[in-house]
Amino acid sequence: MSEAAAIPTVEAEPDWQRLHPATLALAVVELGPRSLQFLPAVAALGFTGNWVWIVPAIGAFLLISLAAAWFQWLRFRFLVGDDEVVIESGVFSRQHRTIPFDRIQDVSIEQGLVSRALGIAKVGFETGAGGKENDASLDAIALGAAQALRTTIRAHRSGVVAAPATDDASESPKAAGPADDRLLFAMGPGRLLIAGLFNFSLAALAVVGAGMQFFDNLLPFDFNIFNPMDWIDIAEDYGLDQWLLAHRWIAAVGGIVSLLLIGFASGIVTMVFANWAFRLTREPRALRRTRGLTTRTDVAVPVKRVQAAILVTGWFRQRFGWHELRLQSLASDGEKERDHQVVPFGKLEEVDPVLAEVAIARPDADAPWQHSHRIIALGGLVGALAAIAGGLVAVSLGQPLGWFGPLGGVLIGAGSLIGARFHRWTAMDDQVAIRRGLWKPKMTLLPHASVQSIDLKTDFILRPLGLATLVFGVPGGSSLASHEIPAIPIETARGLRDRILAARGRR
Amino acid sequence: MSVAGDIFKDRLMTDTAAAAHPTDPFDAEAINAAEGLDHVDPAYAQVLRITTALNLIPLAIAASIFDYLLIRHIDGPYGLITALAWLTAIIMIVSFPSRRMQRWGYKIGEGQLRVARGWLFRTDTIVPFVRVQHIDVGQGPVERLFGLSHLIVHTSGTHNSTVTLPGLRSDLAAAMRETIRRHIQTDFA
Repeated sequence: MSEAAAIPTVEAEPDWQRLHPATLALAVVELGPRSLQFLPAVAALGFTGNWVWIVPAIGAFLLISLAAAWFQWLRFRFLVGDDEVVIESGVFSRQHRTIPFDRIQDVSIEQGLVSRALGIAKVGFETGAGGKENDASLDAIALGAAQALRTTIRAHRSGVVAAPATDDASESPKAAGPADDRLLFAMGPGRLLIAGLFNFSLAALAVVGAGMQFFDNLLPFDFNIFNPMDWIDIAEDYGLDQWLLAHRWIAAVGGIVSLLLIGFASGIVTMVFANWAFRLTREPRALRRTRGLTTRTDVAVPVKRVQAAILVTGWFRQRFGWHELRLQSLASDGEKERDHQVVPFGKLEEVDPVLAEVAIARPDADAPWQHSHRIIALGGLVGALAAIAGGLVAVSLGQPLGWFGPLGGVLIGAGSLIGARFHRWTAMDDQVAIRRGLWKPKMTLLPHASVQSIDLKTDFILRPLGLATLVFGVPGGSSLASHEIPAIPIETARGLRDRILAARGRR
Repeated sequence: MSVAGDIFKDRLMTDTAAAAHPTDPFDAEAINAAEGLDHVDPAYAQVLRITTALNLIPLAIAASIFDYLLIRHIDGPYGLITALAWLTAIIMIVSFPSRRMQRWGYKIGEGQLRVARGWLFRTDTIVPFVRVQHIDVGQGPVERLFGLSHLIVHTSGTHNSTVTLPGLRSDLAAAMRETIRRHIQTDFA
């Protein structure tokens, strides 16, 4: 299989390959979650009293699912040709897809826990066609074959780039050899531990709380390990309650310590699972990232498709100089995100070389940051007033919980007033940098060349103040990036708009 | 490329210069003139009027029926809801559409399309032709009555992935489409 991929096949010699047979085992594993869909049918059978039919129905469901998986495997074949990949799939409606190597930006390899045990990997072809459904994948083939396929495609591509040596001068030296893959950033266990400590999160408590609810109804015996009341009952049995009541502060300290432990432990565990053996390397055309403890992913971010960079930090970790770098790209990362985490936790001097690879600069320390007008706090203030008014009405109607209204209102108002001071921006040579956020400061670095359209917005509040909001249309949105400069003087906004429009067409 | 850039930079400079003159902010006619924008076709007001009427008259009828069936039976102030509904509908149909039409503006410049809309919340969008992915010219049944079309420009940005400019004479919309299309070809071919 790997020979077939590595050696260019002879012209017009059909050399069709199938997915790895272990894929069928994967299908069996996937049946687990899928059978949840079947639960309502089982429940319906149970409620109508047709108990005898439940086992045959489940059996039929398993059989049909397995047969379907097997037919799909049988009808799926792919061919690695001289300069293209051909994929045929579909049981009833056949789909025939040809992907030229030239159009493949890069090949991603992903292995879940089961796939690693079976020695297979999912291969994704990143073609840069918008939308997830447009990108083809082979799910799954042997790991060796996957790596050989990637080598083939990459060798083909660098050969093509070396021959014409056309427009991009920066790419040509890189294309000299595949041995040129430089390590840009890596995370060892020590770094993961520090990152995990800063990743302190009490989200795990919510899980424990949910577990409490769940086990309360489920357990046959009358003791729930998640329920503190049950522990108190036990303590009473042994006379411990007297001692605890006498030393309440011990209980309080114990509670706080266990909260902290849960928070730190969950932070470290999530960080280790996601970023174990994190490596970011520079390849001829892309930045390549491998990471993960159970699910290992291998993703390439084509450098030319990077639209903007987002530098995220935290109110506390900022004091220690820790930052997170994400790149907003046209190509998609995994299932949901459209920004790629390329440095999960690093110092600025580690971030800068990565930014240099995508030709984005960070503003200097003495950059002239300009503030947005304070009027942007207005929305929050209106919300705060509404909360205060609502709370007071509730209190006057005799509902003591209403006091939460004014309390929350004051907090919201203060938050929006302070937060408004942290909206700032600066214009650089061919970039705009936008900063916002107090608790979790985010800085978007937006090259002028990425801007697809510009909105200049005013409304009945901004106009009398001589202000305007600039909104940029940028490909590949991100939940973290803000492509908006709110409430700046209208002449400044016009000037910046002209400047960005004049600078287009850099790449 | 740089020549084209200079030309439209000059153009924008004149725009901002024009905007610096004090104008009555509540004169709808003045907005577009101040910002150097062209008007959409006045017939677009009729299109807006008919669409608004098609939306609001059924609502007003529904309000009347509600009034007749329910308020009369619970001895409420019968007739109040009906009167209010029809009054609102008539005001919105008679007086609003021409204002809304006047607040649309556009300018097809050297290398870029500028579309402005709204007054309370005014948005002024610029799309460089080179950034256009594809272009649609559309026409609804009401627009067809008045010989109007709307132009839709698609960009690859997540925000503003479509920019719509309504109220163009059909031949003008087609001409604009051709202009933009030529730019897409010259810059990418």
